[in-house]
Amino acid sequence: MLTKYADVVVKVGLNLRNDQRLSIRGIIEDAPFIRKVTESAYKAGARYVDVLWADEPSARIRLEHADFETLTEVPEWTLSRFEEYYKRGDAELAISSSNPDLLNGIDPERIAISRKARLEKLVEPLRKYENVSNWCVVATATPSWAKKVFPNLPVEEAQARLWEAIFNVCRIDVPDPVSAWKDHTEKLEKYKDYFNAKNYSALQYKAPGTDLTIGLPKNQVWNGAQESFKNGITCTVNIPTEEVFTAPHKDKADGVVTASRPLNLLGTLVEDFTVTFENGRAVKVIAKKGEDDLRKLIETDENAVRLGEAALVPNSSPISQSGIQFYNTLFDENAASHIALGSAYRSSIKGGEDMTDEEFAANGGNKSLIHTDFMIGSGKMDVDGICEDGTREPVMRDGEWAFDV
Amino acid sequence: MANKNHQEQLRNYAQAVVKVGLNLRVGQRLIITNAAARGVPPAARPLVYEIAKAAYAAGARYVEVIWGDEEMLRIRLQNAPADSFGEYPKFHISAVMDMIKNGDALLSISANDPDVFAGLDAERVGALQKSHLQNNQEIGIQVSRNAVNWCVVAAASPAWAAKIFPDLKPDEAEEKLWRAIFETTRATQPDSVAAWMEHIQNLGKRGKYMQAKKYTALHYKAPGTDFTLGLPQGHRWVSARMPAENGVDFTANMPTEEIFTLPDRHRAEGTVTATFPLSYGGNLIEGFIVTFENGRIVKVTAKKNEAILQKLIDTDEGSTRLGEVALVPASSPIAQRGHLFYNTLFDENASCHIAIGRAYRFTLTGGEELNDEEFIAAGGNVSLNHVDFMIGSPQMDIDGIQEDGSREPVMRQGEWAFEV
Repeated sequence: MLTKYADVVVKVGLNLRNDQRLSIRGIIEDAPFIRKVTESAYKAGARYVDVLWADEPSARIRLEHADFETLTEVPEWTLSRFEEYYKRGDAELAISSSNPDLLNGIDPERIAISRKARLEKLVEPLRKYENVSNWCVVATATPSWAKKVFPNLPVEEAQARLWEAIFNVCRIDVPDPVSAWKDHTEKLEKYKDYFNAKNYSALQYKAPGTDLTIGLPKNQVWNGAQESFKNGITCTVNIPTEEVFTAPHKDKADGVVTASRPLNLLGTLVEDFTVTFENGRAVKVIAKKGEDDLRKLIETDENAVRLGEAALVPNSSPISQSGIQFYNTLFDENAASHIALGSAYRSSIKGGEDMTDEEFAANGGNKSLIHTDFMIGSGKMDVDGICEDGTREPVMRDGEWAFDV
Repeated sequence: MANKNHQEQLRNYAQAVVKVGLNLRVGQRLIITNAAARGVPPAARPLVYEIAKAAYAAGARYVEVIWGDEEMLRIRLQNAPADSFGEYPKFHISAVMDMIKNGDALLSISANDPDVFAGLDAERVGALQKSHLQNNQEIGIQVSRNAVNWCVVAAASPAWAAKIFPDLKPDEAEEKLWRAIFETTRATQPDSVAAWMEHIQNLGKRGKYMQAKKYTALHYKAPGTDFTLGLPQGHRWVSARMPAENGVDFTANMPTEEIFTLPDRHRAEGTVTATFPLSYGGNLIEGFIVTFENGRIVKVTAKKNEAILQKLIDTDEGSTRLGEVALVPASSPIAQRGHLFYNTLFDENASCHIAIGRAYRFTLTGGEELNDEEFIAAGGNVSLNHVDFMIGSPQMDIDGIQEDGSREPVMRQGEWAFEV
C-alpha cells in the first residue's frame, strides 16, 4: 500500500517529468515513506532525489534552550538551498506530518519571534517561486501524530489506524488509484468552472455561531485540484484535496465566524475559537485554548488580520465522513469549508502572478507573512452566493452543494 | 537501553564533546553533519540532542544539524541514471563553508554502516565517491589547516553495532557499542572533562619527545612489514590538542590515542601489511599489502575488495602517496577491547597507522601559509583523499633514524620504547 501511495504521489501529485530532479522536505519519521517515493521517482525517470531532513525534537530543543536574542537567527544558506532547487525548476515534495503538540508548554513569545524571523527571512523570499515548478504536499502517519489522533490506542495500533485513514481518504485503497484520482480531479474542475462562470461578488456563510459575509474581488479566479506551473507541468498540489477556492477581497469581510475544528498552529493547538470581522479585519478573537497563540499569529504583521483564501468543501467529503479529527491542516481543510488568515495566492486573481504588490492589493489581494487556514464548515452550514445585482443563489445547504454540475 | 546510567553517560559524553572536543565559545554557531552519509544518521539523535543542549548551555548562538539517511544513498546507487552521480546538494558545502568563514565550529558524528554499499556496482560507487570528494575538497582544505575548531565523534547505530557484534541481539549489540564508545571517550568517568585534560597532557608529552628528536625517518618491522618512511624537515608532531586559526584550542577526535605527523611524500620504501580491515566508502577492504618505491605505491594486493582499493589509489596522483604517520601503542584502551570497530575513528586509535592521500597542513611548520606547489616541494602531499589504514600490532618494532644514520628504538613489540 505504501508503494501504491508513493506511486500516486509521484504520478498524480508531482506528475514528475523524466530527467527532473526532486527535492523532498520531511522529518526523520517520514523516512520509510520517503524511501518509497525515492524508488518510485527514480523508476519514473528522476535524475536525482534529495531530501532536506528536519527533526522536530531538535527544533523544540532550540526553542527551549537557546538564548532569546538568538531565536531570530536564520542562516542565509537555509534560503539558498531552496533557491538552488527552484531556480533549476526541480520538483518539490513537502511532507506534512508534524506532531500537533510539539511545542506544548513553550513560551508563545519565543515561538512567535522565531516563527516571524523564519517567515521574513525564508518563507516570504521564497514566495516568488510559488508558481515556478511542480510541487505537492502529502502526509505520513508518524507515531506522535497518530497518538494525538487516536489517544486511546497503543502507538503501533494508532499508527496503523492513521495509515489506514490516510490510504482511505487519499483514494489509495482502491484497485486503480491513478484513475480514481483522474475522475476526482475532473469532478473538482467542474465545480471550479461553475464558480468562475458565476463570478459572485460575495459569499454569505450561516451556521450556529457563524454569520459572515465575505466580498470577492471582481477578478477572482477559482482554483482546485490541479495547478499549472511555469515549467509546463500540471499536477495535483495537495493529496488529499477536496476543495475549490479563491481569494476574498482583503477589505470585505463582516460578521462573526466560529471555527468548526481545532487549528494546529505549527505545534500548538488553538481550540473552540470565534473571530469577528469588520471591513475585512479581524477585530476580535476569543479561544478556549491557545488564544494567546492565535493573537500572536494575527499580530505577525499588518495584514495578518485579513483573509487570503475562501475555500468550499462539502461535508460529504471522505475526510469529513471518516469522522476523524486529524489535527493536521492538509486533512482538516479538506473536511470542511475554510478560510485563511493572511496572504492570498497570486493565482487567485486574474493576472495576479504578474502584478506588483500595489496592483495585487488594488485588486483586493491580501499580502502577509502568514497564510493560516481554519475550518468553519459543518453539516449545519448554509452558503449563499451574492451576485453583483444583489440577488442570492444557494451554494451550499446543510454543508452540501446546492447545485449540480 | 534508556536506563539512567546510559542517559547520564550520554550527557557526560556530550559535555566532553562540547567542552573539550569543540571547546565551544560563547556566541559561536555549531553545525553538525557527516559528509560521507550526506548528513548525520538518525540513529545519532539521542547524542545530537544532548550535544545541542550542552552547546546552548555553553552559549552557542545557533546549532544546525544536517541529517542524512544512508539508505537513500543505496537507493540512489541502485536506481539513478549512470550519468547523474555528479549531482550534489550544494548547500551541504555552502552551509559548512559559511560556518568556517564566520569562525564557527564544526562537528561530525559518525554512526555509519560499514557495509552500506556492500554488493553494489564498484563503478557506480566509485563515481559517487569521486563526486563527493571533489565537492568536499574546499572543506577538506579548510579543515586540514584547522581554520576553525572541529571535532569528529561517533554514535552507536543498529547496523554498525550488528557488524561488530554479529552474535548479539540487536538491542544488546547497540548497548554494547554505546558502552565501548562511552568507555573509550571517558564518558564513564564522573568528571569526563577533567579526565580528558589529563589524557591530553600525557599524549602531549609523547609528542614533545618525538618533536625534540627530529628523526629523518622511521623504520617499521613486523610480520609482512619492512618499511622505511622519511620525515620531512619541519615536520610537526601533533597530538590531542591543537590551536585553530579562529583562536580556539580543540581536540579533533574523540577518542584519540595517537601522536602523528606527515611523512615525506617522496620517501617511502618497502612493504607494509595492513593489520586491520579498512572500511572505505561503504565497503571493507581486507587482507591487503602495499609496496612503496620512492614514496609511491607501486603494488597493492587484497584478499577482499582489491578493486575498491585500486580505485582509491587511482583517484589522483596524491592518492599513490602518504600524508600521515601516526603512532599508537598496542596497549591503547581501544586495542584492549579486543575487537574491530570497522570505523576509522576507533580502529586508528587501536594501532599505528599511515594515511593514503592528503597531509594536514598543520603537521608541517608553516604549512598553512604554503601554496600546493610549495607544500609538495617541502614533502607534503596533496590529494582529494585522506584514508588511514592500520599497520601496528604487538609484533611491531619501530626505530627512529637520526640525520647521521644512527638508530634509536621508538617502539618495541607494539609499545613505547622510551619514557617521558
